[in-house]
Amino acid sequence: MSGYNLERLNFLVVDDNKHMRALVKTILHALGSKNVHEAADGADAFKELRHFPADIIICDWNMSPLDGLDFVRLVRTGKDSPNPFVPIVMLTGHTEMHRVIEARDAGVHEFLAKPISAKGLYSRLRSIIEKPRPFVRAGMYFGPDRRRRQIDWKGTERRKAMIEAKRAAAEAPPEEAGGLSQAEVEALLGG
Amino acid sequence: MSADGKPQFIQPPNHVKDKVSVTSNGIDFDTLEKAEQLIAGMQDSYLEWVDEDLRKLQALEAQLDGAGPRLQVFKDIYSISHDVKGQGGSFDYPLMTVIGNHLCRYIERLGDVEPSDKNVGVVKVHISALRLVIAQRMSGDGGKMGDNLIRGLEAAINKTTAAK
Repeated sequence: MSGYNLERLNFLVVDDNKHMRALVKTILHALGSKNVHEAADGADAFKELRHFPADIIICDWNMSPLDGLDFVRLVRTGKDSPNPFVPIVMLTGHTEMHRVIEARDAGVHEFLAKPISAKGLYSRLRSIIEKPRPFVRAGMYFGPDRRRRQIDWKGTERRKAMIEAKRAAAEAPPEEAGGLSQAEVEALLGG
Repeated sequence: MSADGKPQFIQPPNHVKDKVSVTSNGIDFDTLEKAEQLIAGMQDSYLEWVDEDLRKLQALEAQLDGAGPRLQVFKDIYSISHDVKGQGGSFDYPLMTVIGNHLCRYIERLGDVEPSDKNVGVVKVHISALRLVIAQRMSGDGGKMGDNLIRGLEAAINKTTAAK
């Protein structure tokens, strides 16, 4: 059976937890990737980008001194950013709705909830491969177009996705309240 | 933004598309299955990693018995529990994710208020539950024991919430 070959892609994995980095690297290698570099926080990752031309960044949220969100903003809008257009997958246990919106508004392409699986990570990578998005500069925002659906937009779809996500979150059982499922996250991101 | 104030659309270079091809040895269902099996094969390593986290939690738990301020200890417990929550499910220990999530949500709800003895009690029972899951190797849903454990934790949280 044929499929995507990721052998030539450069990945940068950014997570302060070495075990998570090991897990993500294991998955990427199993998917055929050869070039996977790692960094322990946003500042290290930004330095790494200067000499490693990453094609896709997989980034955690909670890191110190520079967290994932600040790192994304730095990559997108920093004057000395080596690649403002690089696709970024935000990998995090923070799946509350306001967090997802915050990550989207910082300029992430994809959002993957922890705990992760090989299939989950690959689905996000496939989305980047199959749905390349134009970038938008609008007001304070610079990043991938937040409206991902290729439709004749009439101004209601984003709200519809938001309403769907809110409804899904409200209907979730009590133990899930406060965190969105991957499907809800994708609805919110308009995927 | 363009000079007329309208959003400016930019078509970035697509390095990903340029480098990804469809080949006969590319990713298919079998590749994904093998990748999942590889993760499953990391379970022993996971048990070592999580043991490290549990020891850190135990040390923090001991600090809660002293007379010192508890808020920072709770924040440190939150940070480790967040890692535990994010990893368990990947290695067929979803109970670690569920309990870690309960613990994180509980600490979040307390905000920046100095934790009370009751709050300490709830946090401790969650840490004990995390230890039990690993000690008993309760992978998967943990069966009836797992079910009882989660219900017990929910009851502990409800009891302290109702007693406010």
